[in-house]
Amino acid sequence: MELAAISDLNASRLQYLRRRHRLGPIAFRDYREVVGRVDAVILALPNHLHAPVGVELLSRGIHVLCEKPLALTRHECEQLCQAARSTASVLAVGFVARFFPSTELTKQLVESRFLGELRSFDYEFGTPGGWSPLSGYNLARSTCGGGVLVVSGSHVLDQMIYLFGDVDVVSHADDSRGGIEANCQTWFAATVDGRPLRGRVVLSKTRQLRNRLRIVGEHGTLEVRGGQTRSVTYLPAGSTLRHVITAAELPPADAEPNYFQPQLHDFVNAIRTGAAPRVDGEQATSSVVLTERCYAIATALEEPWCEATLERLTHAGPHLATDGTTGQPPVPASAS
Amino acid sequence: MSTERPRRVLVTGATGLIGGRLCEVMALTGAFEPRPFVHATGSAWRITRFPLDCAIGDLCDGASVDRAMDGCDAVVHLARGDDAVMQRGLENVLRAAVTHRVSRFVHVSSVAVYGSQPAPDSVWEAAAARSDLSYGNEKLEQEHRVLRYRRRHGLDVVILRPPNVYGPFASFTLGMVNTLRSDGVAIVDGGRNPCNLVYVDNLVEAIFLALWRPEAPGQVFHVTDREPVSWERCITDHAALVGVDVPHVTAAELAPPAQERVWRDSLRALSDGEVQRSLARIPLVRRWFQWLPEPAKRAVRARLHRWDPVRRNGSPERRFLADHPFIAGQKRTVAHSSEKARRLLGYSAPVSYDEGMRLTEAWLRQAGLE
Repeated sequence: MELAAISDLNASRLQYLRRRHRLGPIAFRDYREVVGRVDAVILALPNHLHAPVGVELLSRGIHVLCEKPLALTRHECEQLCQAARSTASVLAVGFVARFFPSTELTKQLVESRFLGELRSFDYEFGTPGGWSPLSGYNLARSTCGGGVLVVSGSHVLDQMIYLFGDVDVVSHADDSRGGIEANCQTWFAATVDGRPLRGRVVLSKTRQLRNRLRIVGEHGTLEVRGGQTRSVTYLPAGSTLRHVITAAELPPADAEPNYFQPQLHDFVNAIRTGAAPRVDGEQATSSVVLTERCYAIATALEEPWCEATLERLTHAGPHLATDGTTGQPPVPASAS
Repeated sequence: MSTERPRRVLVTGATGLIGGRLCEVMALTGAFEPRPFVHATGSAWRITRFPLDCAIGDLCDGASVDRAMDGCDAVVHLARGDDAVMQRGLENVLRAAVTHRVSRFVHVSSVAVYGSQPAPDSVWEAAAARSDLSYGNEKLEQEHRVLRYRRRHGLDVVILRPPNVYGPFASFTLGMVNTLRSDGVAIVDGGRNPCNLVYVDNLVEAIFLALWRPEAPGQVFHVTDREPVSWERCITDHAALVGVDVPHVTAAELAPPAQERVWRDSLRALSDGEVQRSLARIPLVRRWFQWLPEPAKRAVRARLHRWDPVRRNGSPERRFLADHPFIAGQKRTVAHSSEKARRLLGYSAPVSYDEGMRLTEAWLRQAGLE
């Protein structure tokens, strides 16, 4: 495998990368210049460019490992999948958490009915702030596709579908005021072993949450904390014991492995052997569809501290009438 | 300078507590159209809940500031950062404001310009500002820079000096809650001194007024809540939110400031029996101590035993640090007055302390922090 080209609109970043990694003349500001020089592309552009650039590359027979989310809409995802099928190219999607041994272990334990009948699941992931892309694509729905539900939640939704199969949205509340949400709380319903299962997902970009998945079953609770990539914790019902479970075949590791490596190997293996990548376009489409459904039924999270004083603060504004004279204070905009 | 009332306002420091709430209120009331200046895009989550026209840039990069200022009628400068951001960044914003002929430049400073022990006359804005705090000095230097632009360029500047800003997302609130949880706060000598608080929305009201009231340019205003609140009440109310009891101590029971602690901790280490026995085996040390005159020997012994820890409920050592902000702040005797802002701007501080704390509690509860 050879790094054949890098591409970015930002010339100074390209220059930095060339120097940092002592690269030859393989840096291009226009991504179209990589066509004809490469067999495969890691597509890590802003979310809204995944579909147009990905479709163009796949249509030319270039294999694509696309960062998550696959695209902004179901329609765009289907275009990408169709482009991959039409040229028999590999379309893999970068849900790196799928390569954590803890994800596979959780799946095995759920499928083997280790917990008995499942009662509920609960995801809580939140930390103030996050990545700061230089382009600022993360600041708007038009370029990011959404807020915390897309940025952090796409991993959660993908894993949830992987663990529990078809999942439907029961309710979704978030704090978007016409922009992108920083906090959301969503209830989902699934059917596991013929029995209904409900679960909650709470995500935040303004506050620290407990950062863990919990699956509650009749025998006890399975917990996977953020960063717990190699094991899961089992808390038997009615006991104070905590059991840390790892896969028997897992080799010992002094340091946290870089899971982008197995992801990349999986992508290359799919290209070489024709096997499906671990997360293909169709699977990644499911989480985008679920995201769309959440936004379609979104209601407003209550934020009493946000609205309570608005009317009084409005009176401190300049109260300009349209003719430039002092007029009545404006009515506070709708909170929803 | 323009005499138009401003509509489009560049807000620096828009991802912080005050800037975030200011943009929120501007967007929700429609009173102004905010243009948030954003440096770290990953910190902008509060304001990107609204469909705002954010300007991405670096205050130390004059060109990006100039681009952000284009089309704006006024500026609210709230950005904080290292020395470069505080001074060179401010200079860039001031220069761009002059170039783009904005109608108003509101600079949010701090009562830290009066230092840790403000003079009694700093109840009013006319008092001389001098600070023993590095942050206060940075703010003072900024004020001088801002006022220079008024003198030299006729820029319509307004300086606001808030005290501790509390409310949802406030670092004062979070700091207080977290310090209370870790048993780091005590009420000292009854906590009678004023806490000097402003609820974040009251500060937003003052900023709104400073942006357009014709009486504002060239003035410096304290911006505080309506009623003074003692440290005792403030700490007790926050403690009630997190369900902890707050101990009462006297100033004499506090652990000394950091510089003194170096001596204290060194001497305490030396006072450890094992260390003393080891040292006593060193002939030079033994002889050095024996050579000391008796008063000096007594002083060393006294120093070794002077700072007994404050004990609570029979628990082992618990110290309250005299230089912790929530302890040191209790020594400030001055209640800064916002009477001038009320008189000239019509500032009303519409949110009472009780309401402010209720709203803060609601936020803490939803954030799972209560």
